[in-house]
Amino acid sequence: MQPVVLLISLILMAALTAAFWLAARASRGEAPGPKANSKRTGLIWAMTIAGVIISVGSLRQWPHALASTGDALEVHVSGGQWWWDIDTTEIPAGTPVNFNVTTEDVTHGMGIYDSGLTLLTQVQAIPGYTTKLTYTFTEPGTYQVLCMEFCGVAHHDMVNEFEVVAAEE
Amino acid sequence: MSTASEPAAAGHAATEPSAAPQAGAVKLTMILSGAVFALMMVFGLIMRAAQGQWIELDPALFYQILTAHGAGMVGTAALSGAAILWYFSGRHVVLTAGIYWAFLGLFLLGVVLILGAIFVGGYGGAWTFLFPLPALSGGAWEAGAAAAFMLGYVSIGVGFLLYYLELGRQIHARYGSLARALGWNLILGREDKNPPPPTIVAAAAVTIFNSIGIILGAAVLVASLVHLLVPGFEVDALLAKNLIYFFGHVFINASIYMAVTAVYEILPEYTGRPWKSNRLFAIAWNAVLIFVMAVYWHHLLQDVVMPPWMLVVGQLVSYFSGIPLIAVTAFSTFLYVRGSKMTWDLASSLLVLSVAGWSVGSIPASIDGMISVNKVMHNTMWVPGHFHTYLLLGEVAMAFGFMAWLVRGKTISQMGGLDRAAFATYLAGAAGFVTVFLFSGAASIPRRWAVHYEEWLTHDRIGTLFSVLVVLGTLIFVLRFVARLGRSEG
Ligand SMILES: [Cu+2]
Repeated sequence: MQPVVLLISLILMAALTAAFWLAARASRGEAPGPKANSKRTGLIWAMTIAGVIISVGSLRQWPHALASTGDALEVHVSGGQWWWDIDTTEIPAGTPVNFNVTTEDVTHGMGIYDSGLTLLTQVQAIPGYTTKLTYTFTEPGTYQVLCMEFCGVAHHDMVNEFEVVAAEE
Repeated sequence: MSTASEPAAAGHAATEPSAAPQAGAVKLTMILSGAVFALMMVFGLIMRAAQGQWIELDPALFYQILTAHGAGMVGTAALSGAAILWYFSGRHVVLTAGIYWAFLGLFLLGVVLILGAIFVGGYGGAWTFLFPLPALSGGAWEAGAAAAFMLGYVSIGVGFLLYYLELGRQIHARYGSLARALGWNLILGREDKNPPPPTIVAAAAVTIFNSIGIILGAAVLVASLVHLLVPGFEVDALLAKNLIYFFGHVFINASIYMAVTAVYEILPEYTGRPWKSNRLFAIAWNAVLIFVMAVYWHHLLQDVVMPPWMLVVGQLVSYFSGIPLIAVTAFSTFLYVRGSKMTWDLASSLLVLSVAGWSVGSIPASIDGMISVNKVMHNTMWVPGHFHTYLLLGEVAMAFGFMAWLVRGKTISQMGGLDRAAFATYLAGAAGFVTVFLFSGAASIPRRWAVHYEEWLTHDRIGTLFSVLVVLGTLIFVLRFVARLGRSEG
């Protein structure tokens, strides 16, 4: 997902930068014509309609939806300064996993990274709460849990790992 | 009440800047802001170089510098924005000098407390003081250091409340009500012989939302302080986080909304076209007033125990906030600039750049405001990537543009060689610096990590090189300002 997000962002940013560049260059050119304000109205409508489509499209399926407990493997992860404890070290590929995340002290962030150091998903670990997150691993391999919320002097050392193994038939 | 400015409610070319009330205090504030911006940028450069393993930095010191950089930059953005707003509000209402000096004094007292807490007390809990981290340092700092840090915030917050109380009071006196100053007559199509100029609309909106933000920030600061001192006094961590991010989001955005008045007031001197309040402008500002307070939930999109509707609002408002910014502020800038035959000196170039940087930076921000994207971008380098875009190329460019305008001399002339070089250096450095952050975010590099993996070092090193350019450009801007100020005063 990240490369697509980066590409779309850079294209839109470049387009808006170009609009500023052209306006600055046009300071020596013609003054805006009488149609300028209807162009603005068009822009407002275009942004509104695009916004409605993007919002509906991206929220129709709730991004934090959880797998029902019957079908999923329940895994408990607890964090503290500065460690992660994962109660399951071997997770089968292809099965939805419900992570139940808690913290013993301050707020942490549980970020799951694949072996290529790409962030797959994350959830905050909040004192006094259990936060839940569903993820289905497709590839066997070693995965890492990195802390995503600044939690003090050894924040960057708050790393642990688990294995995803091929599903038994 | 200054009636002289009444007929010129929209264009103020007649007002001599030297006659601006409290210009001396504002200039002093801009010297301080420029110096602190430069120092905090050097802190940023040090952090990037340490992440790139070009220099060695103890993680404890790294996180202290991180804390100083965050608090220092947010504070200085707000300070410079407040100076700009005070300066230009003074063209429309009469403001009491004593209040500004009290504000500045309390701000500096806060700075002393914060710097002492960090570099004497060892506090390194980040500028966000996320509960209960200040109280649970794992041995890195004592409760006293955390308390001093938070008392520093309280001092700055009290100063800002005084500032807004005075601003709100004088706007009320001049315009009868904050509602009128917010342009409600324009919105409702009622006749208003003396409609509020853009600066006053901005001042009224910021006065309302930033006062609310600071009061809620004060509430969580007091709760955190009591928690430090009274064992057993517990605060709900999620509630505290909501209050902190409400305050933090509103406060940093207020700095841009204050500083943009420099664009409203200065650009017309170049384009010859007054920046006017009209119905659309008033609607946009009233939308901003609501949006800026409703959007903070986009900081909590991965706090899945939050009520889902709040996260939905966070995502929607992240997107729709872009409409007043791009279709109103940016689009109006295009219209004012096109065909204006304006002169591009350092001040006008920086001010147009600032609107561009602010608008362009809102794009990666709203994209990260989508819950599904946020799952893989939250707390990665993507986040400093977008906020450095609209701060470094937005608020800070507004402040530097305002400073260049203050010392522009009697006639406006094209940029000289040094100005061109400084502008190009700053723009290239900042654009490269933020682009590296965005690439790093897309490469899943977490933010706020003192020690980086081998795989990430190339990003950090390229970022370090760009940040050297930013520091160089900034040093020229600030030194040029101080030198010209000395010449014009002497
Ligand atoms: Cu942590």
